[in-house]
Amino acid sequence: MVEKQIEVRKLTKTFKVPVRAEGFAASLKSLVQRKYQEVEAVREISFDIEAGEVVGFIGPNGAGKTTSLKILSGLLHPSSGDVRVLGFKPWEREPAYLSQISMVLGNKSQLLWDIPPMDTFRVLAEIYRVPEKEFNLILDELIDLLDMKALLTKPVRNMSLGERMKCELVAGLLYRPRVMFLDEPTLGLDVSMQGRLRRFLTDYNQRSGVTMMLTSHYMADVTALCPRVILIHRGELLYDGELAGLASKLAPFKLVRLALEVDSPKPELPPEAEIVEQENGRLTLRVARAEAPKLTAHLLNTLPVADLSVEDPPIEAVIDQIYQDGEVSA
Amino acid sequence: MYHLRLIGSFAKISAQNEMAYRANFWISLLNSALNLVTGILGVWVLFEQIETLNGWDLPATLAILGVYLSVGALRGLFISPSLDTLTGMDGEVWTGKFDFTLLKPVDVQFQASFRHWHPLALIDLALGLGVLYLAVSQMGSSFTAGSLLSFAVALAIAMTLLYAILLVFAGLVFWSPGFLFTWVFDGIFQMARYPVGIYPTWLQWLLTWLVPIGIITTVPAEAFTGNLNLSMLVGSGLFALVAVICASLVFRLGVRRYASASS
Amino acid sequence: MNPRGGWALIKRTWASWMQHRSFFFLLAFGWMIPPLIYLFVWSTAAGGETVGGLTRGEFVAYYLILILVNQLTYAQTNWTVGDLIRDGSMNVWLLRPMSPIYNALSTEIAGKVVYMLFTAPVALVLAIFLRPEATFSLGNTLLFIPSLLFAWALRFFWGYWLALLAYWTTRAQAFLSLQDSLIFLLGGQVAPMVLLPGSMAWIARLLPFRYMVGFPVEVLMGILPSDELVFGLIAQAGWMVMAMALYLFLWCIGTRRYEAVGG
Repeated sequence: MVEKQIEVRKLTKTFKVPVRAEGFAASLKSLVQRKYQEVEAVREISFDIEAGEVVGFIGPNGAGKTTSLKILSGLLHPSSGDVRVLGFKPWEREPAYLSQISMVLGNKSQLLWDIPPMDTFRVLAEIYRVPEKEFNLILDELIDLLDMKALLTKPVRNMSLGERMKCELVAGLLYRPRVMFLDEPTLGLDVSMQGRLRRFLTDYNQRSGVTMMLTSHYMADVTALCPRVILIHRGELLYDGELAGLASKLAPFKLVRLALEVDSPKPELPPEAEIVEQENGRLTLRVARAEAPKLTAHLLNTLPVADLSVEDPPIEAVIDQIYQDGEVSA
Repeated sequence: MYHLRLIGSFAKISAQNEMAYRANFWISLLNSALNLVTGILGVWVLFEQIETLNGWDLPATLAILGVYLSVGALRGLFISPSLDTLTGMDGEVWTGKFDFTLLKPVDVQFQASFRHWHPLALIDLALGLGVLYLAVSQMGSSFTAGSLLSFAVALAIAMTLLYAILLVFAGLVFWSPGFLFTWVFDGIFQMARYPVGIYPTWLQWLLTWLVPIGIITTVPAEAFTGNLNLSMLVGSGLFALVAVICASLVFRLGVRRYASASS
Repeated sequence: MNPRGGWALIKRTWASWMQHRSFFFLLAFGWMIPPLIYLFVWSTAAGGETVGGLTRGEFVAYYLILILVNQLTYAQTNWTVGDLIRDGSMNVWLLRPMSPIYNALSTEIAGKVVYMLFTAPVALVLAIFLRPEATFSLGNTLLFIPSLLFAWALRFFWGYWLALLAYWTTRAQAFLSLQDSLIFLLGGQVAPMVLLPGSMAWIARLLPFRYMVGFPVEVLMGILPSDELVFGLIAQAGWMVMAMALYLFLWCIGTRRYEAVGG
């Protein structure tokens, strides 16, 4: 039986945001009596994650992803609900808990700017009580995997963004954490560096069995890394399951691709099929999910079909629609 | 032991970081020299005109200056460099880099207090103690084991008290990250260059109870003038202890607030 | 000349500074403390008698005026000139159809208004408590106005040419620190010039620093004999012309060098 490492039950987080009015008189008044507005960042989210899983946490900006990660890593107190990571309540921030988790933030750096990263790594080893011998072993392994021997002696301020992210990852993995949270780790990196980081993360997960939870705006990160995704939007959990299932569950339509025989006349299509693409005899139609079987049969019966396939829409398109519309009517 | 080792590696990496800029050394040296010269000349000019100031003569006033410089140096050695990284517009609380501090399996207050060191402050410490040595030799009193010990104890109490005050200011940053509380204190702290006794009574009261800079510089200097008695030492020690406990509570409350309010 | 653009800049700078007034009030508070310390030191020293011919009340008056004059002549924009040169923002100013000096001037004027909003009321309250004694004759008051303007111009341009050294060295701010220390010692802060011990008074009388702060205060207080007054005004004007010439000279060769290097 696989160990459940992260258990989240009905997690809710609300922020009190002061309402600021314009003008001097209003600011004076707000000194005495502040008006607050309650904002629900996360609402009754529940999920479990098992040891060694890699889970993608996706959703549009402001969906509550970062808030959830911060609660899981102990940076924020939840307003209600229960969270257990490795059996600990994260927000009690027990040293025993903090030494087993790691958080990598794509937009912040914990390295000292003016000196080579090696010096920062040594201090981290001291903080996390990593014995000298083990430290060297771990460091060698990571340097090897990330191919960054040359970076160790280069001052951080002279590094490229990608090189810096490699160092951040080493800093986050030096003490072999069991759970790792990654917030936008590929932010701002070029495509080839993104690819290399993804390969590293997959590799590292398979070698060490570390549980990984990551957020990213790049769907490519998620499709490459995460067999499982959790989609949240406006603080609510919309989907939790295999990435492949996301489209079939959330997209209300399917794509029918068909190629007609050469020289066939312009086909007459039933009104429920919407043409998405049309290119010398090849058609892509969008049909409501429920209508798909009936329509396919109809097309096969009435048209000179050379080839036909029924597909789920590409993941990017589904996500894009969810992000834009906020919801997808099932 | 673990914490001492941590302090060691924090100090080492800070030194490395500082050595990255060679010019820092010369600028630091210049500022130390300016600080020393302006301090001594300030006192000298005064005592060219008068013999005593409210009972304080030149050596005694110089002794206060020596303590003032030493206290400032110790503060600049690690307390200010560490706590100041939290405050201000490029501080950790404002930029959110404080997250990394919270994620470490080490007590937050310990990290916030000992993380950054400014080794060049040791030059200031040497200069400050030098002024104190000269002043005490001028007084005609000799250094006894007793006076040195009570000075060390009084200085430790002074630093604890100063640390407590600065920790409260650092803690207040969690309520208002942009406001520079320490600036106000720094302004008032300059008054500790001179014995508290020379100020008007109402100001003396403020400087003893509200911002206890009197205890910070006057009491250690009194270890050499023979005015320091045991009850005063014990009293200020208790005061410092209470202050540091309260400061720690404020700081922890601030950290809790950070954890429940930030997004 | 572009007075319209200059006025627009002043208005804009002032509006944005008023948004952050608490920050500038804090700065003003910090600048106020060192003269305030010497106000207390000297008025305690004088007690019921006189020191160097000045009574307690006259020391209070001298230092209260000095607090105001110091803030009116303090050119804090000089500290940012170096940054502007280093990070290349000076380019933006060079592109505008007016001399970058307008930018500094507008900040200066806007700044003085904001600082005075804090300092003037505080000085007034202090005056009520500390009972200054001074009589301002009409002649002295009339002479005070040009000497104040000269003091400001001298301090501004002197600091500006020092700041322009940033074209050649990255650590030009060290010169500004040195200037601040010299003003503290020789500019009438640590003691009125007449009270400085022999050689120091002689140096102070010749160097420009006294003419940046202390001199206008002495003029208004009427503590100078008439030949000293005339000498002072001539020395002040002379140093001011010298500072402007140095500024123009360094500005010309500095910008040429800047354009050659490409910023």
